[in-house]
Amino acid sequence: MSEQKKSSNYISIKESRKIIKENLRQMKYYESLKRKNLDPKSFTCAMHDENNIIEIDDLHTCFFTDTGTVKSVNGVSFDIPKNKIVGVVGESGCGKSVTSLSIMQLVQAPQGQVVGGEIRFNSDELGIDENGKKLGYNIAKMPTKEMYKIRGKDITMIFQEPMTSLNPVFTIGYQLDEVSFVHTPDIAKEDAKKKSIEMLEKVGIAMPEHVYKSYPHELSGGMRQRVMIAMALAGNPKLIIADEPTTALDVTIQAQILELLKDLQKSQGCSIMLITHDLGVIAEMADEVVVMYAGRVIEKGTAHEIFHDPKHPYTIGLQKSKPLLTSPSDEPLFSIPGQVPNPINLPNACYFKNRCDKCFNKCDGEYPPVIKISETHYVSCYLYGEQ
Amino acid sequence: MIETINANTAEEKEEPAHLLEVKNLKKYFPIKTDFFGRPVEYLRAVDDVSFTLDRGTTIGIVGESGCGKTTLGRTILKLYEPDGGEVIYNGVNLTGIYKKEMRKYRTEIQLIFQDPYSSLPPRMTVGNIIAEAVKTHKIVPKSSLRSYVYDIMKKCGLQEQYYDRYPHEFSGGQRQRICIARALAVKPKLVVCDEPVSALDVSIQAQIINLLKELQNTMGLTYVFISHDLSVVKYITDSILVMYLGNMMEKGDTDEIFDNPLHPYTQALFSAVPQSDPDTKMKRIILNGDIPSPANPPKGCKFHTRCSKCMGICENVVPRYIEVKKNHFVACHLYDSEAMNNYFVGDAENGEK
Repeated sequence: MSEQKKSSNYISIKESRKIIKENLRQMKYYESLKRKNLDPKSFTCAMHDENNIIEIDDLHTCFFTDTGTVKSVNGVSFDIPKNKIVGVVGESGCGKSVTSLSIMQLVQAPQGQVVGGEIRFNSDELGIDENGKKLGYNIAKMPTKEMYKIRGKDITMIFQEPMTSLNPVFTIGYQLDEVSFVHTPDIAKEDAKKKSIEMLEKVGIAMPEHVYKSYPHELSGGMRQRVMIAMALAGNPKLIIADEPTTALDVTIQAQILELLKDLQKSQGCSIMLITHDLGVIAEMADEVVVMYAGRVIEKGTAHEIFHDPKHPYTIGLQKSKPLLTSPSDEPLFSIPGQVPNPINLPNACYFKNRCDKCFNKCDGEYPPVIKISETHYVSCYLYGEQ
Repeated sequence: MIETINANTAEEKEEPAHLLEVKNLKKYFPIKTDFFGRPVEYLRAVDDVSFTLDRGTTIGIVGESGCGKTTLGRTILKLYEPDGGEVIYNGVNLTGIYKKEMRKYRTEIQLIFQDPYSSLPPRMTVGNIIAEAVKTHKIVPKSSLRSYVYDIMKKCGLQEQYYDRYPHEFSGGQRQRICIARALAVKPKLVVCDEPVSALDVSIQAQIINLLKELQNTMGLTYVFISHDLSVVKYITDSILVMYLGNMMEKGDTDEIFDNPLHPYTQALFSAVPQSDPDTKMKRIILNGDIPSPANPPKGCKFHTRCSKCMGICENVVPRYIEVKKNHFVACHLYDSEAMNNYFVGDAENGEK
């Protein structure tokens, strides 16, 4: 019994002290990199493609916990093109939320740190560099002061729980006006109110003047989520990150909110990064899909490719394990055996190999490289390597 | 021990046609009291619900949050005292009996909760959690308790060495397995599953659904399956009950209801389920507005405020519950020509006066 405990997650006091000491050192180092007055050149960089609103390149985000370093995001790269909806799917703990928090620079510091990689944000303010390429901000290196200008204005976020993300002691109107005051400081009070009511109207709230004066607890879940969306839209954003926007809502309300998001995306001309674990929602909404597993992107492609021609065994399993309205109910449901591996000290091998039904001897090697299937479809699995 | 066995066999001799029969069940919660503390206003959480459930089958209870699904499940178990109607389990009316007598049936009706993170005691080991009820009800002699628990754990896909571990060491799926093992340890016949998979990930969900189905086949269990996920309900149930604000809207066999939903609410509910195919863009019925407050429900048909096919009659007259086809009941004026005729005749007479 004791041996089994030791092998799973038992840490002796000596080891624990060592980990904590090492964590402190690391956290101090990464915190020291964050300076107030940096040269603007150090956090601007050229965009690879000016049609992308955001390019995430080999992003690493770590959490230094007392039981070891958790690599929540471990080399994630994908792009979000302009005017597109990109869906990020994965199970809980696969790092999809941490990726979005890294984009917003909202990772809980000092335990959580972006330790490597670039997040290039396409900004119109910076112009063109000497090679004729468009310049963008590198959010991974940006000081917090500069980030204030982008966060909430160009990039906004809709959180999962509309109950907890609205402040219960202020009216809806106060919270909506705040967005205008922060980003356009010289705006008059009346104008801010007018704009807020306009926003509430835009998201389909029936009596905007009434809602403007009410407190969050007076509204239903669907209405609160609409208010959150109104708040996200107030700054005319270029990118909206929707982190599980409909998980806490009923099916009928979910249909309403998804319809609203789609309409707004078209009318406002912004991009949406939609994070969810529901494949149905992704199929409905997304143009491009990124599938994540244990902190890595295992497959990405257009929605059509992912749903009609999935390559990675995990993606295939995920789709087969969801019961459909059309699926027969007499045969057992396909299920992926086992569970997500412990994120501490993952070995340099395919993380999925213990649960995979197509595992073969090559899988014991290093983590599989990214393989190009078509112009837009990438997968990291040894099954599809060049022969 | 011998007595209990005799009692069991005596009960089995009767074998009523249905394992569970719910007749006009009502549960009202007082929300306003007058000066003397007497309730004057009620929240009708479950209002006039009836269904029957055969041995070894599953009924699905579907609806949005706040429609009274969970209250119905708990009232069946007598965790809430019903305010009207009857729950007849195996020929015995559970509503009239005393708490002490109810203990006999506690082992036969069990509940699996929604959230496996908050429904397991954090300071008890897995073995103790599963064995607690077995000890209390003296299901097996003390000497063979441990092997009995091992047996149950194995059936539910838990390894023997988990016996001495604590719930926090397990993931969501494993915890739900512990919850299922705890419910099954007392040899129940009827299990009320209150959203057993909605807190779990997709790949784990499939494991738990398969486990529930397998256990039903091997142990002959009967389930009341409460869920808001229609695709799961379609997969696991034999018949379905659609609820809205405490009322039954539609009831029937699963295949029949999915092939031919009659009530506008059922139709809207089904069309709101996202399909896992980006190319099929189906035409969607999107309901306007939110679910009304159950404390102050609309008059007439409770659904009329959001219904796309709302008529004059719907705002005034509560729809009757009619059998459109065999075993397919619906409460909607669209399918009740008699009530419609009466209403319009009455309307015309009023006009003449």
